[in-house]
Amino acid sequence: MNTITFFLILFAPVYAAFFEGAQRVLKAKMQRRIGPPLMQPIFDMYKLMDKRALIVNKTHTLLGLFYFVTLWCVVGLIYMGFNLLYIIFLHLLSSIILILAGFSVKSIFSHLGSNRKLLSIVAYEPVLLLVCIAIYLVYGSFEISEILNSPSHFLSLLFVYFALLLIIPSITKLSPFDAPKAHQEIVGGIEIEFGSIFYEFLYAAKFLEMIFAYSFVYILAGSNHLLGTILVLFTFLFVNLVDNSTARIKINHMVKIVLGLGVILVSINILGSVL
Amino acid sequence: MSLKKYRKKSPWILHYNCGSCNGCDIEILAALAPKYDLERFGILNNGNPKQSDIFLVTGPLTYRSRERLVELYTQMPEPKVVVAVGSCTCTGGVFNDMYNVENGIDKYIPVDVYIPGCAASPELIIDGVVKGLEILEQKTKEIEKPKKLLGELDESKASIDRTKFAGNIDDRKN
Ligand code: SF4
Repeated sequence: MNTITFFLILFAPVYAAFFEGAQRVLKAKMQRRIGPPLMQPIFDMYKLMDKRALIVNKTHTLLGLFYFVTLWCVVGLIYMGFNLLYIIFLHLLSSIILILAGFSVKSIFSHLGSNRKLLSIVAYEPVLLLVCIAIYLVYGSFEISEILNSPSHFLSLLFVYFALLLIIPSITKLSPFDAPKAHQEIVGGIEIEFGSIFYEFLYAAKFLEMIFAYSFVYILAGSNHLLGTILVLFTFLFVNLVDNSTARIKINHMVKIVLGLGVILVSINILGSVL
Repeated sequence: MSLKKYRKKSPWILHYNCGSCNGCDIEILAALAPKYDLERFGILNNGNPKQSDIFLVTGPLTYRSRERLVELYTQMPEPKVVVAVGSCTCTGGVFNDMYNVENGIDKYIPVDVYIPGCAASPELIIDGVVKGLEILEQKTKEIEKPKKLLGELDESKASIDRTKFAGNIDDRKN
């Protein structure tokens, strides 16, 4: 691990906040508003630090913290070019920790949020696993560092890219697949019982989830870094456009659409590369 | 490093309707919508008391909503600011002295900013919230208590001194 990677990992939650800021500005511009400043998530984090600390119970708070740390490790492994499978399972572990946190308090809204988060994992996790297999079949390796050094085969992964377009909104909690968060209807779901500085970890974890989701798009392009960057930017624009122009769908429809369509798309791609 | 100056850069709103006619609620939503765009001040309508700084209340406070108002207020971590939106929230307005209302929320929780108008216009609401931000910046993290508590909250565990309340809890109309 060289120094640049080290600093990229160390400051991941800080510069990832700018992605979130850019997302909010982009959404505002699409709605012809002025929108918040780019630094807004950083201001939010400073403000959350300044509030009086409230704890529901120790387990709940600790699990919330573990969720953030595990996710940070996931991002670290991505930058160090680790095995894709390890990364997916560690990410799954972090989500499970968050769900346990949701179940460790008595609030029914927290339980509701945890149940919905479980369902969304059921929806996107199998697709993510199949995406890894498809990448392996094309690039011949699960190691990110090796994939990024082999020549680009983006066209033979086109359907995988479409499947990623489908699941990125549900990983980064954007509509139409943001049912686990379902903002005002179930008041934030899993995050509801976190307050002040402890909510900050969950808030920062949201940015890390974005890095996780978009890094899958980036590695599809192999050693062609220009194509990778263009893909990430296009996906960012597209996903936000969809987020702005669609309403939320019901959780059972979400499972059906994401799981059904996602598995079909990736399976076509896998069949294509096997035959 | 003083974090106080960041308070007014990212105030998150909790909006509670304690029996209003929905006129002021629609104006609040209009203020958050693209035309008036409260989000440019970093304001988010959060809907969760544990993460909010500004408590926007509408309505004359009906008997049925009193407990929830006090509960939401006590769940917000300090520093916090209460903004009463609309005439009926300040004084009872058109509902003044009706059999089922309390004539304003300031009998139960301390109010920092009063916004008049029936319904209060989005411009006034924005002015009121910006005024609330100035107050928010000066507040300390000391615990702020509601003036009266009602049955649902556990007073003994919260070590609340009943003698300091503004009104006697047994006087309330039932
Ligand atoms: S002030 Fe007037 S418009 Fe606003 S909630 Fe009260 S009665 Fe309705």
